Amino acid sequence: MSAEPAAALELRDLTVRYDGTGDGAALCGVRLEVGAGELVALLGPSGSGKSTLLHTVAGFQTPTEGEVWLRGSRVASAHSAEPPERREVAMVFQSYALWPHLTALEIVAYPARRRGISRAQAHEEAREILERLHVAHLAHRRPAELSGGEQQRVGLGRALARQADLYLFDEPTAHLDTHLRDLFLDDLRTRRRETGAAALYATHDAQEALGLADRVALLSEGRLVQVGTPEEVYHRPVDAWAARLTGQVSELAEPSGTVLVRPEWARLDGDRSGRVVAVWFRGPHSDYVLDTEVGRLLVRESGPPRHRPGEAVTWTLKESWPAR
Amino acid sequence: MGGRRSVAPPVFEQARARWALLAVVVVAVLALVVVPLAAMVRTVTVDAGGRVGAVLTAPGFGSAIGTSLIVAAAVTALAVPVGAAFAVALRGSHVPTRTALRVAVLLPVLVPDFVLGFSWLAAFGRSGFVDDLIGWSWPGVQSLAGVTVVLAVNAAPVAYLLTVSGLSARAESDLEWAARAAGARPWTVLRTITMPLLAPSLAMAATVVFVLALGAFAIPEILGSATGVHTVTTRIYADLASSSDPASFVAAVTLALVLVLIAAAVVGPADALLTPGLRTTRTSGGSLGAAPGGRVAGRLAATMMWCYLAVAVGIPLLALLATAVTRAVGVLPVPSNWTLANFTAVLTARNGEALGRSMVLALVAASVLAVLGGVVALLERDRAGRAAGTLVALTFVLPGSTLAVGLLIGYGRWIGGSLLIIGLAYLAKLWALAHRPVSGALDRLPPEETHASRVSGATSWVALRTVLLRPLAPALLAGWLVCFLTGLHEVTMSSLLYGPGNETLAVVVLNSEELGQVGLTAALSVLLTLLVLVLAAVLWWLVSRVRRSVGVPDVR
Repeated sequence: MSAEPAAALELRDLTVRYDGTGDGAALCGVRLEVGAGELVALLGPSGSGKSTLLHTVAGFQTPTEGEVWLRGSRVASAHSAEPPERREVAMVFQSYALWPHLTALEIVAYPARRRGISRAQAHEEAREILERLHVAHLAHRRPAELSGGEQQRVGLGRALARQADLYLFDEPTAHLDTHLRDLFLDDLRTRRRETGAAALYATHDAQEALGLADRVALLSEGRLVQVGTPEEVYHRPVDAWAARLTGQVSELAEPSGTVLVRPEWARLDGDRSGRVVAVWFRGPHSDYVLDTEVGRLLVRESGPPRHRPGEAVTWTLKESWPAR
Repeated sequence: MGGRRSVAPPVFEQARARWALLAVVVVAVLALVVVPLAAMVRTVTVDAGGRVGAVLTAPGFGSAIGTSLIVAAAVTALAVPVGAAFAVALRGSHVPTRTALRVAVLLPVLVPDFVLGFSWLAAFGRSGFVDDLIGWSWPGVQSLAGVTVVLAVNAAPVAYLLTVSGLSARAESDLEWAARAAGARPWTVLRTITMPLLAPSLAMAATVVFVLALGAFAIPEILGSATGVHTVTTRIYADLASSSDPASFVAAVTLALVLVLIAAAVVGPADALLTPGLRTTRTSGGSLGAAPGGRVAGRLAATMMWCYLAVAVGIPLLALLATAVTRAVGVLPVPSNWTLANFTAVLTARNGEALGRSMVLALVAASVLAVLGGVVALLERDRAGRAAGTLVALTFVLPGSTLAVGLLIGYGRWIGGSLLIIGLAYLAKLWALAHRPVSGALDRLPPEETHASRVSGATSWVALRTVLLRPLAPALLAGWLVCFLTGLHEVTMSSLLYGPGNETLAVVVLNSEELGQVGLTAALSVLLTLLVLVLAAVLWWLVSRVRRSVGVPDVR
């Protein structure tokens, strides 16, 4: 126990109930550990409790039961809670939450000022961060004069300036177009390598979660349904709900029981027969929806469509996973 | 109350700081409201012995209550449609002189109420300004009808402001454009979309106007008392003036309690019914709505509004000025009869001291209130804090006359007749006015901005100073401004609480009017009105400057 480095974050049976005045989702007995340098994605539909969980870690919300541990010390329980400023966490907000009366430079310098660093030095640090994020030329603009992507970068810069052990991301890409989003995710990977900090990343986008995280935690109605590496949660989902959350899936009523099939686990031309119901050309690949005697099946194959709706085809499974 | 938006950003979550602040608020409410009310109840039930029965059956008692109810209902029926019409009409950019109208519409509430009453008398009364000019007068100005009309003129800007805030918060222009796109004509949009969305705001405006009219004192006193029209508030004033008679004292206290009961009976249900409706949506929608009308309609609307304002405040204020500069009552207000004698006569050391007292009282009260209002707004994020907020909002319902009588009974034997007791009355009466704007501004502030500051390492106090204070500054200043201006010409409570040698300027004007010194009253009124308008303009400019500097859009 003592030899192992303490986890960046540990949630011990965390329960949050609202007294009927809040509209966030509650949490129920959540156990989760985020190791040092690890990025854990928190994947769940809206209303599943992702924000509540992040707010509890950050200290905006106190647990009803259970405990929050950061770097081996307890920061929150039902009886006592450290205020946010005394927890070494930084947060990137979905709404950016940039203060309208400050400039980009002042916003990014803010955390350093709170550490008691002189204004000049804090501004120096902030300028470096803005440079790394390629927005140094916007240093003297206010949030209203920045585009969405620029605001997002300033928000990220403020989080980096906090020099925290744990970064919290509350759906930070929800407002961004694909190009900016890829830039941003790239930034994030680099920073994590550089600073070695851990991160908890809330999102409802399965592709983002699978591509970004070391581990993915699936959240449903305040409960953790499954925690595992992206491969685990994708290939071995605990149930049909978890499977649908992490990607497209078909449920087939095989004689041995219901099985889950990802589109790329099936292929056309095999020993079983079916009929094409719909075809979608997706660029690099094509998706076919087949009507079979064991249910509807989605098949993905590379290349342009080879069949048209109504045609009879044959198919087979390369892989499947039992639904429990 | 449910939405997250109605919860103030988290500032003082540490139990110790919260409870300390909460304790301050509770003690203040106890001292300013609960103790005085309890003292009144005790006076009526215990000290008065058997006299209450006689009071309740006395002839003037029932008629005063009846008059107050009739006046308040009629004022509501007149002021709310006028205010709402102004708000809807002034939204469209097709109305010429819109900017000037938006300022002018506020004049009737900026001018001190007793000045408005007196100037209507000077304008439309027998041998008044209009009578002198064209030989027409309205004797009814000194009757129930006159009291009602002038009170409605005075209250219409309040209805206007409440409707405007309802328009900007609820009637999002997208919703109206969607209706236009769906084939509705402008008037249909107004009827089917705008008005239904505004209904809760209009109902709230009606409640506020009713309560204001119920507690109004100066206008009924000036226009009604001389002709025997007595409302509850003027009856209380008359009863306390003859304070040597214990029976009339008990009568005053009983009336003051009845007044607060009526106000509570109206506001309680209205508040419970309306609060959810008013809280549900908050949009950033622009006010450039799909309001009805083209250029012709806009010109017509502007003409009608200017005509109304000319009759309601223009001619009365002109008459006031004419009265102040004319040699004597009964002579024509022509240049050969002009004199500055009235002005030189009122520029006395005593009046100067009264002005100084008014300024200091208003200044101190407004500053204390800005802090108290801010504290309550910051506390409003758990049940205890919200309860405190509701409690403070309810003090607005307490009629000034009731508060004054309560404070007099509660603390009169120690601080009666002093400036302190007047100051306490201002604190109790105006707390809600200071609290409302800050609370609203906090509601609009995304909680994430405070979260971001705390997670960046700021303590509660640092977050308050660095990221909350600046966005809240316009609201704090606006609250301060409203309290200061109201305190500067407050007369309902001051006239009941002042002691010899401790008159405020408003009390001096009222006393001068009651002594029948028409020219001197007019001169004093002109000076006081100028003072209020100039200060309002300066402070207003300051508020919008601060607002712009923190990136908060101007109130339209």
